[in-house]
Amino acid sequence: MSTSANQRSRKTLACTSQATAYQKAFGQELRRRVVEDREPYAIVQADTPHELFHAMDIPIITNQWWSAYISAKQLSNRYFDAMVEKGYPANSCKYCSLGLACTLANDPETAPWGGLPTPTIMVARLTCDCIQHVFGQWAEAMGSEFFPMEAPAWTDKDPQWFAHAKSDWERVYQPDRIALMVREMADLIAVLENRTGRKFDEAKFHHLMEQINVQEGYIWEAAQAIGEARPCPVSIAEQMPNTMIPQWHRGSDWAVAHAKKFRDEVLERIDAGLGASSNEKLRLMWIGAGVWHDPGFYQALEEDPGAVFVWSMYMPFAGPAYIRDLKDKPMEALASRVASMNETLHLPPWMSSWMVSEAKRCGIDAAIMLLPPDNRLSQSGNKLTASALEEAGVPVLMIDADMVDAKSWDHDRMVGMVAQFLGERAPA
Amino acid sequence: MIASAGPNLPLAVLRATGAYAGPLPIDLDKPVTTASDWMESKFAPWAPLALQAWADGDYDHLDRVVFSRADDTAQRFYYYVCELQRRGLVGGPEAILFDVAMIPRQSSLERTEQKVRELADLLGVGDSAIDEAIMPASGAAPSGEQPLCLIAGSPMPDRRLHDAVEAAGFAAAGQTLAQYWGEEAGAVEQGTGEPCAAIARALHASASGPRSFADRADFLADRLARSGAEAAILWRIEEDEAQVWHLPAERRVLEESGVPHLVLTRRDWFARDGAGEEISRFLAEVTT
Repeated sequence: MSTSANQRSRKTLACTSQATAYQKAFGQELRRRVVEDREPYAIVQADTPHELFHAMDIPIITNQWWSAYISAKQLSNRYFDAMVEKGYPANSCKYCSLGLACTLANDPETAPWGGLPTPTIMVARLTCDCIQHVFGQWAEAMGSEFFPMEAPAWTDKDPQWFAHAKSDWERVYQPDRIALMVREMADLIAVLENRTGRKFDEAKFHHLMEQINVQEGYIWEAAQAIGEARPCPVSIAEQMPNTMIPQWHRGSDWAVAHAKKFRDEVLERIDAGLGASSNEKLRLMWIGAGVWHDPGFYQALEEDPGAVFVWSMYMPFAGPAYIRDLKDKPMEALASRVASMNETLHLPPWMSSWMVSEAKRCGIDAAIMLLPPDNRLSQSGNKLTASALEEAGVPVLMIDADMVDAKSWDHDRMVGMVAQFLGERAPA
Repeated sequence: MIASAGPNLPLAVLRATGAYAGPLPIDLDKPVTTASDWMESKFAPWAPLALQAWADGDYDHLDRVVFSRADDTAQRFYYYVCELQRRGLVGGPEAILFDVAMIPRQSSLERTEQKVRELADLLGVGDSAIDEAIMPASGAAPSGEQPLCLIAGSPMPDRRLHDAVEAAGFAAAGQTLAQYWGEEAGAVEQGTGEPCAAIARALHASASGPRSFADRADFLADRLARSGAEAAILWRIEEDEAQVWHLPAERRVLEESGVPHLVLTRRDWFARDGAGEEISRFLAEVTT
């Protein structure tokens, strides 16, 4: 890793630090409930129906969040080494297995929170070939129960899905897939009620779904405004936390209020003519997960040559992926939200068509695409999306790097590569 | 003609059409050119070869190719081909995705049965034809005078590892990719009057493929016992991301079996990494 890596990003919005402070406090509260109070809790994948747990007031630890927490404590290498010592190959998929590695290392002295107590249940959707094996073994190691959920094939391939997802979700996401997911969620609720003694409150769930629509509506409104505004008022370095942190708590009073606050700050900056850069000449699209270990990367070229990252998937995804006309069928609406997260972000035609449309909407001059070398799920759909963008007149630079592995990332080299690409393909 | 790609497919339904041509042929010597512009690096090694063949028109004699949802590379390949066809970048046969659900739960079993019926309807085959096309599960180990060496793990591209085993004086038992894709789901009941339901039950309970919920260590122990192997090789390729999670348990099975064994992980699918020579050296030291 370059000594210049892990550059801090500049923050221009008051709500950004409020979001990170809230998330820090949430982590402490979650630890109290799970570790000290020994409440029943669940370990779940990010693409599972968190709304059910929220409606039942069952704490959840999201695997991806827990992995990031372990990584932030510089423990990932230690735990992956422990996994290799136990006979697993060193190339096993690391994206979702750091929590399992931490459990297998069985080292309460170093483990965050002293290690996790036994969860009531562990839930994952089978979106790739390895996750059922990871969660199955993790549940066994923790003495817990694994509740897998199917990721049924989506064969009704509407390239314009994003234009119809809000109101025509039954057709877009395929009735048979929605029906299967609703049935699985009913099974999951029954298991949760049985194991925890907590009851699923349909009225509370319905209200939660309405509140999520309100929250994501604010985010979507801000995303629309950012797409139209010249200059871009807020870089993706601040779009990401203000979208993602409330999304972990979606539908809560805090999350709705924070989304509104974020939208308001974005609109105020637009009204005042304030830009992320004082010299915006090029509008860039970032395709891939966030480079969490070097957030300053996104702002390095803002003033010279005036290249501003105005788009990453997290914020505009709030509209088509989350907002649903409930039609008095909140469980079906939730199923349509959860059932296709992976496909819309990683497979054609959904990924490529949406990103081409978004590039046009936001006046994108060039796209930078992360191509993680060791992860098929994260790589998937990238090259076809790149070629679709190029066909649409948007030059694309593909970067071979990993979103979580700081060792393979050199800030100066990466910034230099982008600068050279822009100079050659999208001169300001 | 119809070809298949991937494991856990209802092969009896395909055979009932009278037009089943078997697993999609993979030309291992195919130079990959344009396909590398569309497909990323971590797909199973057969995929870029097949995509290049698709682009070159090698599959134009086929009417349809049925892909399996039970394999991540196969299902993503389906979406890639559909997109390339939509954009007019490739032609070739119609791609179909068969959705198999294998979670040990009633809703998954019913989902699989529904999808078997939908495929039968799409292909225009009736119950009696399907029932007649049901075949017994395969998998008998070769019998003969020579001691047997079981090659377990990732499906092999062809018989190149078998050849290394046989050159050492052993009979070889192990699946090639084509055999894996052409493997029956398991024991399908014939004459039930509801062949789609019978096929779905077998697919749902199948011990084969990355989506199976069967105990992988038990599966290996059973193969060792049934084959009567006197040596075993566990060979897994770099791109194997699913079964590799059971490597510690499989190692324990091999050690507890007392069968001399060689474990090769993160290997090159084309065996350009000296796997054949390692097998020769290993078997030379095995006394039978």
